Amino acid sequence: MPVPRLTNNEKKLDNLHWPLVLSTALVCGLGLWNLASATRGAVSPLSLQQGRAMVIGAVAIAAFLFVDYRWLQALAWPGYFAALGLLVAVATVGKKVLGARRWLQLGPVQLQPSEFLKVAVIVLLARWFTQDEVGVQKGHYSLRDLFWPFLLVLLPVALVMKQPDLGTALVTLFVAMTMILFAKVRLRDLFMLAVVVTGASIFAWFKLLKPYQKDRIFTFINPQAYAKTQGYHAIQSVIAVGSGKLTGKGWGEGTQNQLRFLPEQHTDFIFSVWAEEHGFLLSALLVALYAFIVLVALDIAANARDKFGSFLCIGVAGLFFWHTFINIGMVTGVLPVVGVPLPLFSYGGSSVIVDLLGIGVLLNVSLRRFMF
Amino acid sequence: MLVRRDADDIREIRPRAALGALVVVCAMLVLIVRLYQLQIARGEEYLSQSLSNFRKSLFVPADRGLIRDRRGKTLVENRPSYDVFLTPAFCRGKEKEPVMNQLADFLKMDEDDRVRMRRDYEKAINSKDKLERFKPFLVEIDIPRDLVDLVVSHREELTCVDLIPSPHRSYRAGNALGHVLGYMSEVKPEEIEKYPDYRRGQTIGRSGVERRYEKDLRGVDGKETIAVDAQGKKLAEEINQLLIPDDERYVAATPGNNLVLSLDQRVQDLADQSFPGRAGAVVVLEAQTGFILAMVSRPSFDPNKMSMRISTAEYAALNDDTLKPLINRAMSENYHPGSTFKVVTSFAGLDHGGITTDSTIFCNGGYTVGNHRWRCDKPSGHGALAVKAAIQHSCDTFFYAVADRVGLDPIAEWAHLLGYGAPTGLDLGREIPGVIPDTESVIRVFKSYTKGHAINASIGQGEVNVTPLQTAIAYAAIGNGGTVYRPQIVKRIEAHDGKLLQEFAPEVVRKIDFKPQALAAVQAGLLAVVNEPGGTAYTSRLQGIRFAGKTGTAQVVTLGSKQKLNVEAQQYLSRDHAWFAAYAPGVNPEIAVVVLNEHGGWGATASAPAASKIIAGYFALKAQDAAEAAAAQALAAGLRAEGQAPVAPPRTNPLPQQPSPRQAIPQGTLQQQLQPAPPRGN
Repeated sequence: MPVPRLTNNEKKLDNLHWPLVLSTALVCGLGLWNLASATRGAVSPLSLQQGRAMVIGAVAIAAFLFVDYRWLQALAWPGYFAALGLLVAVATVGKKVLGARRWLQLGPVQLQPSEFLKVAVIVLLARWFTQDEVGVQKGHYSLRDLFWPFLLVLLPVALVMKQPDLGTALVTLFVAMTMILFAKVRLRDLFMLAVVVTGASIFAWFKLLKPYQKDRIFTFINPQAYAKTQGYHAIQSVIAVGSGKLTGKGWGEGTQNQLRFLPEQHTDFIFSVWAEEHGFLLSALLVALYAFIVLVALDIAANARDKFGSFLCIGVAGLFFWHTFINIGMVTGVLPVVGVPLPLFSYGGSSVIVDLLGIGVLLNVSLRRFMF
Repeated sequence: MLVRRDADDIREIRPRAALGALVVVCAMLVLIVRLYQLQIARGEEYLSQSLSNFRKSLFVPADRGLIRDRRGKTLVENRPSYDVFLTPAFCRGKEKEPVMNQLADFLKMDEDDRVRMRRDYEKAINSKDKLERFKPFLVEIDIPRDLVDLVVSHREELTCVDLIPSPHRSYRAGNALGHVLGYMSEVKPEEIEKYPDYRRGQTIGRSGVERRYEKDLRGVDGKETIAVDAQGKKLAEEINQLLIPDDERYVAATPGNNLVLSLDQRVQDLADQSFPGRAGAVVVLEAQTGFILAMVSRPSFDPNKMSMRISTAEYAALNDDTLKPLINRAMSENYHPGSTFKVVTSFAGLDHGGITTDSTIFCNGGYTVGNHRWRCDKPSGHGALAVKAAIQHSCDTFFYAVADRVGLDPIAEWAHLLGYGAPTGLDLGREIPGVIPDTESVIRVFKSYTKGHAINASIGQGEVNVTPLQTAIAYAAIGNGGTVYRPQIVKRIEAHDGKLLQEFAPEVVRKIDFKPQALAAVQAGLLAVVNEPGGTAYTSRLQGIRFAGKTGTAQVVTLGSKQKLNVEAQQYLSRDHAWFAAYAPGVNPEIAVVVLNEHGGWGATASAPAASKIIAGYFALKAQDAAEAAAAQALAAGLRAEGQAPVAPPRTNPLPQQPSPRQAIPQGTLQQQLQPAPPRGN
């Protein structure tokens, strides 16, 4: 496959998807600002670290833009196995924090391989749907045809579940499902799939879920009954969000955040900090920004030059959508509490870099949409 | 070729992408609707929840009012008591055991107390009301100073433990004023429901002045609101000021009002020390106003201990004591008045034509009606006596005859006039009325009325039962010419800064319209009891102070032999109650004194000397007051002469100087009132 090189730098900048760049930059900026409040101090070590991750991500995007995204096809399998290897490493020599083995210490850097797994899965599935001939020949995919992609996704997801990290496992699964839905799957097969998933859920409930994970689901169903235990997080978060009212309490003035009534306020519950301190108007704006990014991703997917780019963008759209929806749904009490970060808002270097890589993929695909 | 097929595939993706976009827009709208619901529709509610998250209210207990005697001497005051509280909500999981064990060790708690602490803890934690566990509960009251230091120095470990200094009552007189002042104890849950301004752990007055004047003494609690973080730790002061509005941060408590009693601590001590028996009562009151100067009830209890510092065993002992120390014998227990009641029979006889002041009755040692003979105290008989001599010698026969002539109802009528048979209305509450029988009540109880009931009643036996307080009021009325006063013990209510809020004036219940000769005859008889040879209390007379009085020896119900009591107890319980009721001086009296010595034996020997001692002591104190006042006046005059401002005399009520009915109840013209007081000639 020939890979044409760009010769005209000016033209390249013209074709850059500036609305996406700007909205991403805006989310990053607001995220840093908000994180500073959540970690109590404009230049707290955590927000500095977050800023550093964003710079790394931005540099990575810039570098990545010079390369055609189709090279990623070549990296699909190596990347997948690398992620798998890292996960195995986590399971054996990972750093244990609060009972969960999720991090890998590499010198001064802490990595969360489950974050990179999301990218690896997106790239691998994009490649699989691009190169697989079955779907094209039959005109659709039957469940049997999807055996391999399922297996490839479920294997690392199971490892993530073992960490345990239900949130990441679910999001990875949802992203994969989203991509599969965009391939040609018949309605009948989807129904069959639903049955299988239900069966798997029941199996997971009795065999795989840890008691605390089950508690979370019970808690979600009736948080008041667990007001001082598991439900505490959900209730305090809803109080924080609600108490922001129309315009919020002001930056650094959120009592739920500042007085530590809000748990995990700089990671999973970062949106509650935003909602408490900035109110409904800016919270809705933030939701709209995320919606915009996801819609742009779908748009780029629909207008991509090739199937691979298109599926990559659908994967990234799924990544942003599921993270945003689950996270905000969780902190506003419409979904159970599962640890899912809010893209570019929650503290966490690995997740920020992965999110920015996703944006990089979108920009890359969009940049090369006219090239044949 | 490959590219073309890709393009086709992408075209097929487009409708799915559009559908996906729709799903995304819908999902995001769901989130925005949810945000609207939380932040706009219910924002106010969540805002107040977020406020109450970090607000912690601490009560600032009001200082309870002080109680002073009439001369300003403090009888009850407040001192800090360090009480240990534990808040279950801040002491959970891993912290629970070490904190409770350490606290118990520090406070040297015994096994019972440890169990009680754990039970209180579990009760709060397991309560359906989730707020219950945030309420601190009392672990130990009034811990000594060294334990205070120990607990304070371990603050960091004992996170859920609060050491709250609260003002506690200190009853300086101890046992001597237990019944009058009362005591404090914790409010019960049902009381909190009734009076919502009380909260758990607070105390409330339980008897005596503390109970009756609870509203005045209590004051209004203040409130301090502080900001705490999620761990319940107080935040720095500047954050506190930022988060809590100025007007809510500290609302000062309003101290309770102070009471000034009519009681004179010195007279109280005198009465207490003069009382000779094991059980009984002494009442000293102003004959011209009804204000109480001293009230003793024996045996007594220590209000300091009763105020929640008494062990279960000690309390059980108090309750089981056959002498019933918790009862105020001056007003909440009644006794046969014995011969002190003869004044009532005298008035009944004189008023209803049974006798005149001169008519004599012959005593041959007893009185016979039908086939029943009532014996006189003196078996050999007193001979012929008129009413004055009958009182002087306490001749029973005379009064049997009077009762035989007039019957029971005139006696009952006169008893009621003098204030017997009904609560006197003393502002201590919980008074009992006593029993004054009349024919109707006798018929109701005994089915039929016979003369015997009247004859028994004539010498204060039979069904007649009175309280020492009633007796004091009746004798004051005889002494002062017929004014029955409502006894009072509180003279003034003052605000904590000393501002006068309420001053109590003497209250007249009724004025008895005595026949002058009848009153004179009875008064002469009462004077003769003390001051003439042959009077039953002649041995208790005083040099220089002619006082009037009447002895009484009230027979008690014979004990059944079935009761298993030791000899000493049996002897004690079979002895008569000894009474002495007096007023002094004998003319235009200032005070009435009643001494009741339960099972003391003869009134003349077991009660009269004590009354005599109290009267002598009272006038000595009065002379001392007058001398001090004169000296102070001379000093002030001297200072004035030197051009210095005189020192304001302290606001005290010395013992009355010139008591007269007119002074107590202003009446007559202004001119009359301006007349110089008549010289005292008695």
